[in-house]
Amino acid sequence: MNEYIILSLVLYALGMYCLATKRNMIRLLLGIEILINAANINFISFSRAIPGFIDPLAYSIVTVSIGLAASVTAVGVIILVYAHRHYGTLDVRVLKRLRG
Amino acid sequence: MFSLPIDTLLIFAITTPALGWLLERVKRANLCGIYAAIGLAIVTWEILYMKVPLNSGLMFIDQLGVFMALAFSILGLMACIYSIKYMERDEAIPLFYSLLLLMIAGMIGCVFAGDMFSFFVFWEMMCIASYTLVAFRREKWEPVEAAFKYLIMSSAGSASILFGMSLVYGMCGTLIFNDLYKILSNVSNVWIYVAAVFIFIGLGIKSAIFPLHTWLPDAHSAAPSSISAMLSGVVVETGIYAICRIGFTVFYGIYNQWMEIIAILSIFTMLVGNLTPLLQTDIKRLLAYSSIAHIGYMLAGVSTGTILGLTAALLHIFNHAIMKGSAFLCSGMILYRLETREMKEMAGIGRKMPITAAIFSLSLFSLIGMPPLNGFISKLLLVMATIEANMAWLGAAIIINSAISAAYYLRTIKALLQPISSKKVEEAREGPIIMLAPLLILACLIVIFGIWPDGLIEFAKSAANVLLRG
Repeated sequence: MNEYIILSLVLYALGMYCLATKRNMIRLLLGIEILINAANINFISFSRAIPGFIDPLAYSIVTVSIGLAASVTAVGVIILVYAHRHYGTLDVRVLKRLRG
Repeated sequence: MFSLPIDTLLIFAITTPALGWLLERVKRANLCGIYAAIGLAIVTWEILYMKVPLNSGLMFIDQLGVFMALAFSILGLMACIYSIKYMERDEAIPLFYSLLLLMIAGMIGCVFAGDMFSFFVFWEMMCIASYTLVAFRREKWEPVEAAFKYLIMSSAGSASILFGMSLVYGMCGTLIFNDLYKILSNVSNVWIYVAAVFIFIGLGIKSAIFPLHTWLPDAHSAAPSSISAMLSGVVVETGIYAICRIGFTVFYGIYNQWMEIIAILSIFTMLVGNLTPLLQTDIKRLLAYSSIAHIGYMLAGVSTGTILGLTAALLHIFNHAIMKGSAFLCSGMILYRLETREMKEMAGIGRKMPITAAIFSLSLFSLIGMPPLNGFISKLLLVMATIEANMAWLGAAIIINSAISAAYYLRTIKALLQPISSKKVEEAREGPIIMLAPLLILACLIVIFGIWPDGLIEFAKSAANVLLRG
């Protein structure tokens, strides 16, 4: 089980790295997907904590959370499309008009 | 299924677009605002007459939940009535009300949830609705940019909460709040600290605690004014509620550690929230920054950890919802008439819009903490609580910050009363009556809860007792 926790922590770190360094707006949305998937992997790996028993709670949680992640990304993509219409680019550095 | 108020809200949220489709045929789409307002009035009435505690599987409703839900539904009702006129020039009005009702349903679901995962589902429902509402006027660049920034930061926070929850699940095998309290109240190992860091970072982003507050001024000033009132008055406070609920159940074993960190962060949050608006000339940005300051006051109350401190913090949540809601709706009224948010351009508007200016000044005085108004009562209780908990330095910080905050609130009032300089202001007139009605109700509530706060304090005390299991 430890391997899975390490994997999910690495995924979480990767997602945060993606959010901190990437400039493309689509990549930022993918970074959020990576963060949520890190948590999902954790849930699935913990569901086998007791030998010989798989907890259905974790599976239902993960199913719902995948749906939620999809809806967040959908809203993100809609906003991204409008941002592209206003700015003509997907570079997030251009979105800096709001200041102070 | 999810208790009566949430079910009612969901039914109204689904039927509003259907009704709006019919009303759009006869060019009366803004009438579905009345339908949504009726729904919210029913929900407020249902919450007022709710029997607690109520345990129905997914939901566990107690005094605390009802206290918070009442604040949400009252401000939601006022914002909804206000929007009928305010949003009439926009497109897709039925969807606006549908999203507003969904956002309120999500918030009420958050405070009624009995386990961490249903809390998370409702939390995401609130978040998704609020991203869309911030970007509602998509034909302008400002809301789109603000909404994208808000979406990225806030959903990274939600993912952190989910990650922390998965660690809590790994430790306990359950996510029900009451069971988690029993299992974790004596545990203090490394993993619970790790889970606490993830969950508090996530909640801190949503409740705009320093240094995670950067999205707030953009999103709150770019949204339509009635949504700014909702975001600033209640959505951010849902984060404070979550810090209280999760902190006092799941992380009760490491109580002293997180309390100290919250106390220190609260001072920074207050300072940032009060020093930045001194330079602002945009009225909605100024109010948005001042809500960061008020988040700091609430956190100071939470970090005392006593019954008086939590009562004061909860009371301040309720009062802040009314005061800041009223202030944002007034600034929206000026925006509706003048179409500007710059303070210079609205000089002298108080002479042309006397009722709006009077209510605006009243809510700003209340935000400063002037004695006969409700802001004074909760700030007094906050200072008393910090002294009682031997944290007088925190109380001193609250008083100093209130004094600093007076500077920019009074500057705003001065801008309202200056001699008229522009032609636009000369031609302005008082706002429509349907927009004034919610403002008048909120102004009455500010005065009533300032003069007779006893009933509300008792209610907040019973809610705080739930948290401390007194």
